[in-house]
Amino acid sequence: MHIPDGFIPLWQCAIYWFIAIVAIGFALRWARENLDEKNIPLLAVLAAGIFAIQAMNVPIPWGTSGHMVGAALIAIIFFSPWAAVLVLSIVLILQGLIFGDGGMTALGANIVNMGLIGGFVGFYAYKVLKGVGRIPAIFLAGWASIFLAAIACAIEMAWAGTFPLAEGIVFMGLYHAVIGVIEGVISVVVILGIDNVRPDLLADWVSSSKKEALQ
Amino acid sequence: MNTKNRNLVIGGLAIAIVIAILAPFLASSNPDGLESAAESLGVPESEAVFESPLPDYAIPGMEDNPWGGVIALIFGTILVVLVMLGLAYIISKKGNGQE
Repeated sequence: MHIPDGFIPLWQCAIYWFIAIVAIGFALRWARENLDEKNIPLLAVLAAGIFAIQAMNVPIPWGTSGHMVGAALIAIIFFSPWAAVLVLSIVLILQGLIFGDGGMTALGANIVNMGLIGGFVGFYAYKVLKGVGRIPAIFLAGWASIFLAAIACAIEMAWAGTFPLAEGIVFMGLYHAVIGVIEGVISVVVILGIDNVRPDLLADWVSSSKKEALQ
Repeated sequence: MNTKNRNLVIGGLAIAIVIAILAPFLASSNPDGLESAAESLGVPESEAVFESPLPDYAIPGMEDNPWGGVIALIFGTILVVLVMLGLAYIISKKGNGQE
């Protein structure tokens, strides 16, 4: 879903850059108040894992492929959508600067879609769905995070005049509804894996060491 | 960093590097959702505004060699971990030992 250069007019890019910079400000404030010796290592290895897994494009039907984004995962583990903004911003900045993945002019939009929208949708979807059970809630939060980020991307493409609105939403929605299954499954696997070795590092609402997560 | 956290970083980084090694061999080269939508809707490919040093996770001159991709991805994976660790320690009060 990394938007390249040339898909969004520069004046609209500036708006997304502005939103992204404000969001990064909030993310840095979250980091200052919530990161400590205990959770920084997990945050750093998850960022690295997200960078690596974003290179693992999985084939989906219609000659298309997709990869997970990871924002919901981070927001759930660290109990904050701002954590997702922080991690995805770092990953997207390095991808754009060094690997040409996502245009530098579109970097703000990419941070807004994958970090901000992905993180907030993942966080609040898990919050709302936690009652149905931890595992289905993680899966659905992952699915919804990438699906709605893609819909937002399609709307931005329509505003930019690059995609027609209806067709853009249909294509982006269809592809990312499938990619969302990958996102959901990997999010569940990663959280259960961490829960297995270091449940103390997961936020209370998702850690099996806390009754709150299993009610 | 205590032993438990060191093990977490080593274990987590090992998993990330395994993914980085496998990705150039296993990843689908089909266009992603956005590229595919752009193709279906007849949007022409666009040029990047600046030349990145390792475009498309490949080392210039060895684009067809998956091992170039492996090196680029391992480099990126380690870079992400270092940038994240560095930034987190700099901005976190507690990481600096200040409460």
